[in-house]
Amino acid sequence: MFAGVNGATITGAQGHRVVVEVYVGIGLPAFHMVGLPDEACREARDRVRAAIDSSDLHWPTKRITVNLAPTHHRKTGSVLDLAIALGILAADQQLPADALAGLGFLGELGLDGSVRVVPGLAPMAAVLGDVEVVVPVAGHREAEVGASGRVRSVATLNELVAALAKTAPWPDHRYPELAAEAPATTDLSDVRGQPVPRRALEIAAAGGHHLLLIGPPGSGKTMLAERLPTLLPPLGQDLALESTMIHSAAGVGLPAGGMVSSPPFRAPHHTSSVVALVGGGSQTLRPGEVSLAHGGVLFLDELGEFPTSVLEGLRQPLEAGSITVSRSAVHATLPARFLLVGATNPCPCGGGPPGVCECDETRRQRYLRRLSGPLLDRFDLRVAVSRPAVSDLIDTDPGESSAVVARRVAAARRLAHAHRGMLNADLSGQQLDEFAVLEPAAVTMLRDQLERGRLSGRGYHRVRRVARTIADIHGGEADVDAPIGERHIVEALSLRADVRSVLNVPAA
Amino acid sequence: MNGVRDDDGGSLPDSAHLAALAGVKGLGPRRLGLLLSWHHPREALAVVNGDAAPAAPLAAAWPSEFWEHLRVASSQRNPAACHSTCVEWGISVVGWGHRAFPNQLLNDPAPPAVLFMRGDPSVLGRRRVGIIGTRNATRAGTDTAHVLGRELTHHHIAVVSGLAKGIDGAAHRGVLSVGGAPIGVVANGLDQPYPAVHRALWEQVAECGLLMSEWPPGTTPEAFRFPLRNRIIAALSEVVVVVESRERGGSLSTVREAATRDVQVMAVPGSPMVRASSGTNQLLCDGAAPVTGVDDVLMALGLDTRRSGDRVHEPRPAPDDRSARVIELCRLMPRTLDDLVSALDLSVSEVAMRLARLERDGWIAETGGWFQVIGAWSGLGSDRGRGGVHEDLA
Repeated sequence: MFAGVNGATITGAQGHRVVVEVYVGIGLPAFHMVGLPDEACREARDRVRAAIDSSDLHWPTKRITVNLAPTHHRKTGSVLDLAIALGILAADQQLPADALAGLGFLGELGLDGSVRVVPGLAPMAAVLGDVEVVVPVAGHREAEVGASGRVRSVATLNELVAALAKTAPWPDHRYPELAAEAPATTDLSDVRGQPVPRRALEIAAAGGHHLLLIGPPGSGKTMLAERLPTLLPPLGQDLALESTMIHSAAGVGLPAGGMVSSPPFRAPHHTSSVVALVGGGSQTLRPGEVSLAHGGVLFLDELGEFPTSVLEGLRQPLEAGSITVSRSAVHATLPARFLLVGATNPCPCGGGPPGVCECDETRRQRYLRRLSGPLLDRFDLRVAVSRPAVSDLIDTDPGESSAVVARRVAAARRLAHAHRGMLNADLSGQQLDEFAVLEPAAVTMLRDQLERGRLSGRGYHRVRRVARTIADIHGGEADVDAPIGERHIVEALSLRADVRSVLNVPAA
Repeated sequence: MNGVRDDDGGSLPDSAHLAALAGVKGLGPRRLGLLLSWHHPREALAVVNGDAAPAAPLAAAWPSEFWEHLRVASSQRNPAACHSTCVEWGISVVGWGHRAFPNQLLNDPAPPAVLFMRGDPSVLGRRRVGIIGTRNATRAGTDTAHVLGRELTHHHIAVVSGLAKGIDGAAHRGVLSVGGAPIGVVANGLDQPYPAVHRALWEQVAECGLLMSEWPPGTTPEAFRFPLRNRIIAALSEVVVVVESRERGGSLSTVREAATRDVQVMAVPGSPMVRASSGTNQLLCDGAAPVTGVDDVLMALGLDTRRSGDRVHEPRPAPDDRSARVIELCRLMPRTLDDLVSALDLSVSEVAMRLARLERDGWIAETGGWFQVIGAWSGLGSDRGRGGVHEDLA
């Protein structure tokens, strides 16, 4: 006979509803699955059969046809196991015909009949909007994000069948709390000395400016970058939901409470592939690091070591705030709006003051070439980081804590949103003319820099953007319409070390 | 038997054949000198080509494989082409013993066999001081080289250097800044400026002073040619001043060449914290005389230093106390903005503001995020109160 069961699959961070149709009819015992299942999905047959057998249920010795509707898109993974098993049982009339109505099932089956968790439960549960969703116990919290209040969880197939047949009540599992979020152990006050990079972090957070840290090994570039998320405001409701869906789809553990509510920090290694960074890979189009960093910070250490193709892959997300991953049959657009922090050595030997660097011209040029180009243009802030002085390291007086700086950051971001509708990093040249008017002294300073060839046309815009943010932090609401002063321009200039000159020893 | 090249070579001057010979691979200055001591240039080229028989002692001294190698290598050398390139670039070609050959090199233990020159050779008739140093110099180093080049020119002393980046280029620029005539000795053909960033400087040196090389046009700068170039710098100089050098560096090869020629070596002292001064400080430990001003060099040359002493007017606006502290910090060693903010305990914008003003007024220069002081503390030139120091000590 026939049964239809609700299930779902996932592409990118988007769930798709799938109806599993099962027909059990007269004929030689056989099992056919149609409707574009992929290999992992096709393997469901063996898992489902073993699970049914070991749950003391009966595998019908009839001709079984499973259709995964809609049939035009490919179904991937093992998440449909549970729906297929229940479809077979219902079609074989081992379950009452109406038992499956108003329910959807997500989960992988073990050979012993246990129900296991799969990645992406949150977006898949969300797409089953009008039914109650049955998920593995371990995935209860995650599914709640997508289908709040409509989630039931089971540990085994047996338990589920009993509940559906109404021979037993729905099990009431104490579902496990998600891996408890480590309390924020990083704080800006851990950073000793280094007043300039600290300042750069504050400005980057306040204006949404991408930040490049240039410094020798051991100067604390990673430590600084890790502290940037602590300065950013918590994710809003929508952003948190988006981010949680992405984390769920990528199979990355969610924090306690289920929602990704604080800005994520992602630091992919420079051996990461393009796919790992931008997303894609299988038919599921797993979200990449750029999407996992959505709303937070993407930190690329040793920026020059990343393959060019990987860095090129960052261009779309940096421009559009989203990434479209396309394969022949499927494509998905994932949100990817992040604050990019790059770190690099000033040259292959680690650099140092003029006269110390050991690299010859060609080596330095080769190193620079990997960094150069459009990506470099994205960094409004380029800050030289040097090893902190010994006196700063042993100084017991901690610097400002993240909480103090975060308050100033939040105020500046509110100001930018209220008066300009966007963060300062997104201001176009035209908008800068409107919102970042300069004092005469500041104009003189910039003209001088331009004339001496120390500032390019692009650099001119960057400096004004950063100066706008600095003025916002300092002046607050009162000065929002006042022209930007010389001291803000000078500070902005000092926070954009020219990478070319950092990497080049000057010609005499 | 030896008529193969006579058709095109008959009308060519000796210099064309010299230019062709100088570019034969494997024929270094020593062997070329030996060859030319037995044969006229035209004949020597024929000998190398295998078109004429070498003099008996030569034939005996060099193995047959070497003659074969020379024959192959010289087949690519065309005297007519060499000649036209030299004419086109205004390069004069002189062999050892020619009346235009610099006297200073005639009795050198390893003289160049052929010299290619652009510019005015009469500048070699002046007193000559070599100024050399690292390519990877600090701002203080290039400033010192610049000032020395300038001051020596004021005293009508010619400055010999190698046209490399860093110290060399700064010395040449110092000479040119007051309309002097620098002498540049290079390690490649005079038709291809190297390093490329010194293209303009290269032309200026050829125009205002003298540019010389022992390699014909078309020669590329290969590593082995630089030590050979250094020996010419040492041979042309009466005193060699090393401004900045690392513990190992090309400058020290010039120093060795100078030592074998009894040319006095002097060195500019530097901070032990600065790597660019490690080589020069070692030279001082080893007994080189220190150069703390142009007077030291003049004294080494046996010149009168009394006429120097006109105090230079300081045109830069005097910094206030805090800015003076910034200058002081940067004078000790190059500093980053970070260092300065930590050391001064001021806000980032306050320090950035001061640095911007100091840079505008010409007190400080920034290179790659490092701030360095411009100019000498009390004037590197001739306005130093040397007597005063001694009086204080007494």
